[in-house]
Amino acid sequence: MTDHRRFPTQEIGSLPKFSWRVKPFRSIAIQDSDIASARDWGKRLGVKEAGALVKLLKKRSGFTGRERQRIVDYSMLYALGMQETAGSGTRDGRGIDIVWSGEQARTEMYETPVSNIGGFEFIGKVRAFDNKYWREASIRKRPEFLNNYHLDEFRFVRRHTRRGVKVPITDAITIMAWSDHFHYSRKWAGADLPPSRRNFEARREFTLDLARVIRRVIQGLVSGGAKDIQIDIPAATQYQTVDDAKLVAESFNETTKGVDARFSVHSCFPPRLGYALLFPYILDMKNCSRFSFEYANRDSFGRGTTSASRPGYADLALFKEYGYEGELGLGVVHVHTDKLPSAATVRDRILYAEKATGLGPEKIFPTPDCGLRTRGPEIAYSMLGLVVDGARAARESLR
Amino acid sequence: MVIGSARTLLALTGIHPRSEKTAQATQDWERQRINDRALREQFDDDVGALIRLQESLGFDFVSDGLLTTEWQDLLTPLVEGVKGVKKGPLVRWFNTNTFYYVPVVDGPLSVDGGKLAKRLTNSSIRSSSKAVLVDPLTFAECSEDRHYGSREKLIFAYCDCVVAPLARGLEKAGVGCLQFSAPSLVARFRGERWRDTELSPVSEGLRSALKGSRIRSAYHTFFGDAEPYFSFLLDSLPTDDIGFDLTETNAARISSSGKGIVAGVADARSSFVEEPRQLLARLGDLQGKTKELTLAPSCDLRYIPRIVADQKLRNLARARRALS
Repeated sequence: MTDHRRFPTQEIGSLPKFSWRVKPFRSIAIQDSDIASARDWGKRLGVKEAGALVKLLKKRSGFTGRERQRIVDYSMLYALGMQETAGSGTRDGRGIDIVWSGEQARTEMYETPVSNIGGFEFIGKVRAFDNKYWREASIRKRPEFLNNYHLDEFRFVRRHTRRGVKVPITDAITIMAWSDHFHYSRKWAGADLPPSRRNFEARREFTLDLARVIRRVIQGLVSGGAKDIQIDIPAATQYQTVDDAKLVAESFNETTKGVDARFSVHSCFPPRLGYALLFPYILDMKNCSRFSFEYANRDSFGRGTTSASRPGYADLALFKEYGYEGELGLGVVHVHTDKLPSAATVRDRILYAEKATGLGPEKIFPTPDCGLRTRGPEIAYSMLGLVVDGARAARESLR
Repeated sequence: MVIGSARTLLALTGIHPRSEKTAQATQDWERQRINDRALREQFDDDVGALIRLQESLGFDFVSDGLLTTEWQDLLTPLVEGVKGVKKGPLVRWFNTNTFYYVPVVDGPLSVDGGKLAKRLTNSSIRSSSKAVLVDPLTFAECSEDRHYGSREKLIFAYCDCVVAPLARGLEKAGVGCLQFSAPSLVARFRGERWRDTELSPVSEGLRSALKGSRIRSAYHTFFGDAEPYFSFLLDSLPTDDIGFDLTETNAARISSSGKGIVAGVADARSSFVEEPRQLLARLGDLQGKTKELTLAPSCDLRYIPRIVADQKLRNLARARRALS
């Protein structure tokens, strides 16, 4: 029997969308290969509803709104199936412990909230890196709550899994950082302040206005039964002043104020300086039980549990330096490459983290570095499997 | 165009945003919905439209906007085109939501200047063109050095082994201007200041690399306030022009100089399209402090959507007309 209290595994959020999930929303006809993919993956993941999905997809085109919603629902079942069956070994040892919908019900982590918060206007695509883009929106007036854009997704997942459920929610800092600040820039343009201070005050006001809207979304989720909320702050390291690092914590505290839930934070892809620019300020986040960061992107693919063999994990020393005693989500698989590490390398990353932080195996949660939406299904499934197998191997090493 | 005492020019300063059609084409290409040729044709159309826009607006140095898949960011052409450099991890590019792969320097730098020049230029430009390269300090700061052992040695190596042959290659290719993009000078972690001794290799290295070269050179700072480095920029650097991000630097504080000034008056980080009078307000009295003034975006326009970026170019041209 595998003791999953040690090195419990978690997903960060997104998983790739199958072609049959995407095409009906772009008015592209379903092909035989899409149907074959739905059938084959359904069988592989043990999705009982795969037959009904295949039957629906045979319509090929002209799906109604209701049918498209069914396709999204099936897609969430496939995502849960991927997480629950990932890895090798016995049925008991397989699968990720804390799961989510693979964000199949979202366009992506920015566009979905921004489409559902009042005050934004989309202005066009902006490129993040390589051929990856986001559709940027401009804030034209004070943001306002329109509806709870994650509640149905949560209810669906809760009904269809017995595993732990963690709801990832894009935070205010990230929405602010990825948006054009039009309304706030204009509001602060006349302030008698140096340009850098004026810009900071504009983004602080924007962030805190957003935080209040997002708090309402979280309150709705908690009322609906959600207990575990992950505040996604990939942009935590975008603005790199001390004031901005403090604002990351202030925004988190404003977002979670008065809400009775278990909160964690995810961030990733900092500048070359790493996460040091957030310390010690993020430790002022009240009520944050776990920090889940990306590390494997910067690590070697070789084996070993010394600091020399694990260069990507150098920032773990920060947690020890500042006396952190909470939990740590540990990115153990680099998500922007198809190159896979070995399970032994993943195991060594976990064992090194345990040693470097001194936190103990119950407080270290192996995870992919970030959401897996940019990978193909085969690679994403393999990566989830490596998280599971690496964690199991690490548990066995500690026996 | 000569306005008052200063000749006023127009130029871009870096990577231009891809059009919505080109963005879609790159995604279709990644999903194998279109082939290499269709992608290349879409990029060619996009570059053509941008060149025509600049020429119609009277830009003095015309750029292809670095609209190719080779220019995913300012460092990728070096990772792919310089020996001794390999691709490292993905990290954030300064205070933006854009990312680059760290150049890992694991051997002596060397480059075929002609080949790299070809990567940095576009043969379809008929008028005077401009090439862009990260400056030695930014290259050193953004790289992981496993070979040279000190920032100073890496800076000199970059100047001698990359900048010098490239400048010769660009000159041979008929390129009118080489701009060094230099965010690292002014956008340092938590505002830490560079010491003079840390900066002197940059000016020395560039002086040596550009010696004998007739190509016009510019050193463009952005993402931060350049005021602490006015002396270094205006007195020590050998480049013909010095560029400032005037959304961060107070133009009124810039002193007179014999150098040309690239005035980054159009905010490349905001979708708000400034009217000419707003652009000129950022300019302050710079016109009287230089013989040659280039109106430009504050930095690469890739941080805003294409439609907004193109409108900013039109308003730069209107601002120049308003100056007259």
